[in-house]
Amino acid sequence: MSDNDKPFFVGYLPTPKALRGLLLAVCVLFISGLSGFGLALGVAQDDPGDGAFRFDYGRQTVTGVVELTPYPLLRVTEGNERIPAGHTLMLAGGGKTNVESRAIPLEGQLAQVSGTMLQRGALDMLQLRGGANGISAAEGEVPQIETVPLGRWKLAGEICDGKCLAGAMRPGRGLAHKACANLCLLGKVPPVFVSTQPVDGSEFLLVTGPNGEHLPEKAYHYVAQFISLEGDVERRGDLLVLRMDPDTLEVLD
Amino acid sequence: MSVKYIPVQWNTNKYIYDAVMLLGVALFLYVFLYAAPDILSHERPINSQVHNARAFGACAFVMLTVILCIGPLARLDPRFLPLLYNRRHFGVMTTFVAITHAGYIVDWYFAFSSSNKYEALLFANTSYSQLAGFPFEAFGIFALFILIVLAATSHDFWMKFLSPPLWKRIHYLIYPAYLSVVAHVSFGILQDQQNHVFTGIFMGGAVLVGGLHLMAALQERRADQALLAPTTEWVHVCDVSEMKDGFAKIKLLAGGDRVAVYLNAGKLSAISNACAHQNGPLGEGKIIDCLVTCPWHGFQYDVASGRSPAPFTEKVPTYNLKTEGTAVLVDVKANPPGTYVEPVPAPGQEGIS
Ligand code: HEM
Ligand code: FES
Repeated sequence: MSDNDKPFFVGYLPTPKALRGLLLAVCVLFISGLSGFGLALGVAQDDPGDGAFRFDYGRQTVTGVVELTPYPLLRVTEGNERIPAGHTLMLAGGGKTNVESRAIPLEGQLAQVSGTMLQRGALDMLQLRGGANGISAAEGEVPQIETVPLGRWKLAGEICDGKCLAGAMRPGRGLAHKACANLCLLGKVPPVFVSTQPVDGSEFLLVTGPNGEHLPEKAYHYVAQFISLEGDVERRGDLLVLRMDPDTLEVLD
Repeated sequence: MSVKYIPVQWNTNKYIYDAVMLLGVALFLYVFLYAAPDILSHERPINSQVHNARAFGACAFVMLTVILCIGPLARLDPRFLPLLYNRRHFGVMTTFVAITHAGYIVDWYFAFSSSNKYEALLFANTSYSQLAGFPFEAFGIFALFILIVLAATSHDFWMKFLSPPLWKRIHYLIYPAYLSVVAHVSFGILQDQQNHVFTGIFMGGAVLVGGLHLMAALQERRADQALLAPTTEWVHVCDVSEMKDGFAKIKLLAGGDRVAVYLNAGKLSAISNACAHQNGPLGEGKIIDCLVTCPWHGFQYDVASGRSPAPFTEKVPTYNLKTEGTAVLVDVKANPPGTYVEPVPAPGQEGIS
């Protein structure tokens, strides 16, 4: 209960002298506390990795054979200094979109593609320009392209959307980014499995459904988590493709 | 005590309050966004949209934590009441910071697809039946919705319009909102990061809010037990000798209402302890210029009639009093708000004026 000795603060009157010291201390504590938390939290940010859009490389234009896994790939036959012949490029549209409507008519044919590279270590992807500027039929004989089965594997790692992972976003993986990854995958951006153990020299694998269809619905619940799964792996040039078996999905921790 | 509603009634203390608050918030964001990255030395920086989103999200969380500490702090020690005075501006600012956070997220993670970004926010992740990978954004949406409702109804106009009890009940939604933010962070970024500084600060904040509320509640319960009256018609409040001129004694009646019995210029008067503004404790205020002054926001009342001085129109109930010897007794039946009751001379205090 109130008594005479305690200072009494009324908002629209001057602050009582006896309270000024305490309130000043609170103000100083508040301001320095907030700056301190800003610093502590600001320097606590994890490294988002080195993936990036390689605008610095300029526009890349190469020729190769279009394959559908069903995610469109280009098996490069005529490359340049950044993208050599023999390389396999995953193809994506702008934003969270795919290029399937443009790639399907060209399946098995020679095509020229043009766009911006995304790169993160050994992983890369090409974001195509719009319309026929991005992909169009090329003249020439279609060379023999082979696909080598590597058998069934059980792997541990994370399903990501390949585009954000390759550098469209930093960070581009992890649980905080899960909804974003799902949205990319719903847009049929190529999914990539990041394996904790390299498979035949590669830690990144393009993921498809068990019979060469798009990522199964069940797999969406496992995106961005540390999981194990099984599936058949095949080699297409320097890219591995994992036909995952959704019944084997398991969360690890 | 306003007769006509203008958006904000400014005074020096509010200016100081807001200046300190804004400075703190600006420094938090500045340090997080511009000073910290130099120390981080990542090979490639975090995308600025995500970086901004994180800075504003973390800032909103820290602000909300501070806001929720002010209430119990002021209950534990009335010297902190000035922090309560302009807390609403703090809350509204928090809402703006939280909206900015959500805006950066929606314009980045949920943009660039062929769907509408707000629809995408709702359908992109539907893993509601699992803990890891749970769509933690949903907790953020819920919290943000509440923050916006509270900020939009924060003005006194809404308090009058909705009536103070309903307004107060609506504003208790800040607690579910805070819990929702805790869930938003626990299921979101805490699952994802390697660096656990945020986890520490975050848990420290949540524990502080919980602990202070618990302490204040315990102290209040002890105090209430001492104040509680028996269920008779006339209730003994105190002895006149315990009273000080210009101040009150509070009694908790069996029905749950509190009475504030004031000694004013040698005479006794009793009014409801609940301020018509926001239920502030009138008995913890004092008489300034012959008027009872609320310790929370300074609303004033004539102690004999429970009415705010013209042109204001607030009214609180009054109570009848009598004395037996030097004992002060109050009638448990309240008079309608604004009823004049002739002050009762206090035995032994007649000479004071
Ligand atoms: C529509 C509402 C909201 C959405 C969609 C949303 C979404 C998100 C997302 C996606 C993240 C993870 C960002 C990342 O690190 O990659 C995040 C982090 C966070 N959010 Fe929200 N949020 C919302 C509302 C709120 C509200 C109202 C608050 C607090 C008042 C809040 C506080 C936080 C905090 C503290 C973080 C962690 C920041 C850090 O890493 O330092 N969020 N939010
Ligand atoms: S509660 Fe606001 S002035 Fe009394």
